[in-house]
Amino acid sequence: MSDESKKAPYIVPIGPNHPALKEPVMFTFEMEGEVVREVDFAPGQAHRGIEWMGMRRNPVQIVHLTDRICGICGVSHTLAFARAVEQVAGIEVPERADYIRTIIAEFERIQSHLLWAGVAAHELGFDSLLHLTWKVREQSMDVIENLTGNRVNYGIVQVGGVRRDIVLEQHPIIDDCLGTYEGLLGKLLSLFLDDKTITMRCRDCGVLSKKEALELCTVGPTARASGVNVDLRQDYPYAAYGDLDVRAILPEQHMGETHGDVYDRIVVRLLEVGQSCQIIRQCLSEMPAGPVTAEEKLAKLLAICKKAQGEAIGRVEAPRGECFHYVRMDGKDAPHTWKVKASSYSNLMSWIPMLRGEQIADIPIIIASIDPCLSCTDRIAVISHGHRSVLAKEDLHRLSVEKTRRLQR
Amino acid sequence: MRFLPLFPELVRQLFREPATNRFPAKYLPPTVTGFLHDVAAGRARLTPPVPTPPEFRGKIAYARDSCIGCGLCTKICPSHAIELLPTKKIRIWIDQCIFCSQCTSICPKSSLTMSPEFLLADEDRYSEDLIVE
Amino acid sequence: MTPAGIAVLLLWCVVLSFFALAGGLFLLGVDRKLAAHMQARIGPPIRQPFIDVAKLLQKENVVPGNAIPGIFHLAPVIALASSIVILFYLPVGSILPVLGMYGDLVLVMYLLTVPALAMVAGGFASGSPYATVGAQREMVTMIAYEFPLAIVVIGIAWRIGAAGLSSPFALATIAATPIWTVVGPLGLTGAFLLLLVLAAVTPAELSRIPFDTQEAETELAGGLLVEYSGRNLAMFYLAQGVKTLVLAAVIVAIFFPWNLSGFIAMPPWLALPADLLFFLAKALIVLFFAVTLVRVGMARFRINQVVSIYWIYLSMIGLLGLLLLMADAALPALVGVGP
Repeated sequence: MSDESKKAPYIVPIGPNHPALKEPVMFTFEMEGEVVREVDFAPGQAHRGIEWMGMRRNPVQIVHLTDRICGICGVSHTLAFARAVEQVAGIEVPERADYIRTIIAEFERIQSHLLWAGVAAHELGFDSLLHLTWKVREQSMDVIENLTGNRVNYGIVQVGGVRRDIVLEQHPIIDDCLGTYEGLLGKLLSLFLDDKTITMRCRDCGVLSKKEALELCTVGPTARASGVNVDLRQDYPYAAYGDLDVRAILPEQHMGETHGDVYDRIVVRLLEVGQSCQIIRQCLSEMPAGPVTAEEKLAKLLAICKKAQGEAIGRVEAPRGECFHYVRMDGKDAPHTWKVKASSYSNLMSWIPMLRGEQIADIPIIIASIDPCLSCTDRIAVISHGHRSVLAKEDLHRLSVEKTRRLQR
Repeated sequence: MRFLPLFPELVRQLFREPATNRFPAKYLPPTVTGFLHDVAAGRARLTPPVPTPPEFRGKIAYARDSCIGCGLCTKICPSHAIELLPTKKIRIWIDQCIFCSQCTSICPKSSLTMSPEFLLADEDRYSEDLIVE
Repeated sequence: MTPAGIAVLLLWCVVLSFFALAGGLFLLGVDRKLAAHMQARIGPPIRQPFIDVAKLLQKENVVPGNAIPGIFHLAPVIALASSIVILFYLPVGSILPVLGMYGDLVLVMYLLTVPALAMVAGGFASGSPYATVGAQREMVTMIAYEFPLAIVVIGIAWRIGAAGLSSPFALATIAATPIWTVVGPLGLTGAFLLLLVLAAVTPAELSRIPFDTQEAETELAGGLLVEYSGRNLAMFYLAQGVKTLVLAAVIVAIFFPWNLSGFIAMPPWLALPADLLFFLAKALIVLFFAVTLVRVGMARFRINQVVSIYWIYLSMIGLLGLLLLMADAALPALVGVGP
């Protein structure tokens, strides 16, 4: 037997259901021994038609649907959508509402990053760290519940402002939670970064170079971990971020060098937890008084939205990266077009260079390292006559051109 | 323990109380419905769930008498869970409700409120517990 | 041997088998409970493994379409049977090895590979890529930990032999003369190092984190066992329990062979259950440090890291321990003192 035939590659399918994948996506790995030679993936397993639903509802209804696009970064989607509609309808958001939006968004970032850290530990087989981080995460969930009325699907953002004020009695609860996290951050950093087994598994694993990160248009912590200085909160400030001092967190600030590996993604996310605590503190102390919504009467708000005409985009730095909503309204109840691009959509392609040449053992942690949210991402599933079909680049290009023409009419 | 910083934490935790809230019981009972019957009959004790914060958004409560049947809530419900009946009253399908609390804000007569009740699991989506009218 | 003798022997084997099954599941239950408490959870009740097995026995036994049914069904039987058989060669409490006259520690070492080999056969026979990768990893892991394990066995037996005892590999001898009593300070260090090595081999034998690459829930979805269900899975689960008991018994027999009846005088009817309980307590302590604490406190290693850890680091520690034991035996002769 020659060497070539001995090393014949074999196919390992992973997904759509697999304990390592928290979201449905289908991977096909071409393996050589334990090493990944080639990788392909097929999203589109969880298409829910949420945009279709939205185009049959008015903006005040959609804003709560957007909460359900993603269970973790719900407020980012509502915020992005609300900002798009506000621009179309020309609604001026009161300053206090902007600060409250910022506080909720940062709490969401805290709980999302802690959730991710737990999942990453679980993918490494380190369940104790999963339970520990999720135990710690509970306090931020409690604060969010106290501020908004629910642990997930907060429903706090409304077109034109927010639906609930943060009253003075709630400040001690928030302060208490921030104090806990600021105290715990050093311990969390030590548990994740000093642990020899985690270092052995994550250092120089799943490397995405700065060049690749730029070429693949990655966003959020995935891009920042590769040394790309992008953060919408700094580059394109929205809500209250313009008044605050927010700088993108890059791994070299903490570690002195950038590897662009899984380890750096842990570093970036954990440090962002601390950054979020600072932002919330700053917001609380600088929050101006005033109304929290531009239009309190929902019936009036509906009328304003119905009259609105035009198109706009809303961009928000979600915990996973830039979240993008496009809304076009033409004077009817429902928007003419609503397009959502979740942050994971921009990050998915970075899996290919990350996974190539790595071992089977590293597949779960590399997949998890970009914090994929497939259910948010899936916007299309092509099924005709009961069979899935694949659209190639040319097909997609043709369809996009057709759609743009349709929209321009 | 510089290389494995979790070990001291684990050993310490071994002598502490677990973080889990023991709702409804410490161990899963053989049958949950049987356990609930026992609780109702006073034979078993139910550990209460974590308390809800003020202004928690739970199951909708409907004050039928003050409702004027304007139908604003049906227009604003994101999940089409509210049905306007010919009798000028409404029916809410909790099974479809997403607990956004939008109907309670738009109601001109404040007939709709969010109660703190959240234990809504049921075997039948059309059961009496899941229809408010 | 007389027919009556054979009957007694068989009876002992049956009794021990039941003890092995029940004791193994009990150890698994305690392991889960302790792990849960360390992770700030309540965890399942200690009888949970018994409930699991009872439930699995009622479940459908699915055979995948491209499996080899013969080997697929035979593997769990062999795994369970061979793990129980190992216990017949090991002292349990004050019960001397039932089949002690037919085999010694070297046999036990070889028998320990049989359940693993059965799992490998079952994995390859499953016809699933996950199981195949798992089976390959299991073989690599076996090759990796076999050498440190052999160092421990040979080191201890050699030292006991050097102390002038006959048949040093027989477990009865090892149990009667704890290694700590025959060595000097150098030897104590050496024996402690060997204990560490044996404790480090245990998680790999039991395929537990950090050496559970062959099952690796988040990577291979259960690896070797991915296609098993129902009765077959129940047998593998029982085998896992029995193996846990066996590994604990090996460590206890080599390093902690003392019995309660050796310290406190008690009537024979009390001595047997008291020693059994004492044995279980020792097994629990050993497993807590060798398996439970390790598996909750570490991340899983990659398969290449497993190999380098065993072949380089643990073999080095083992050889150092062996050298210390040899030095300990040779020192009195060199210095000219001692027996």
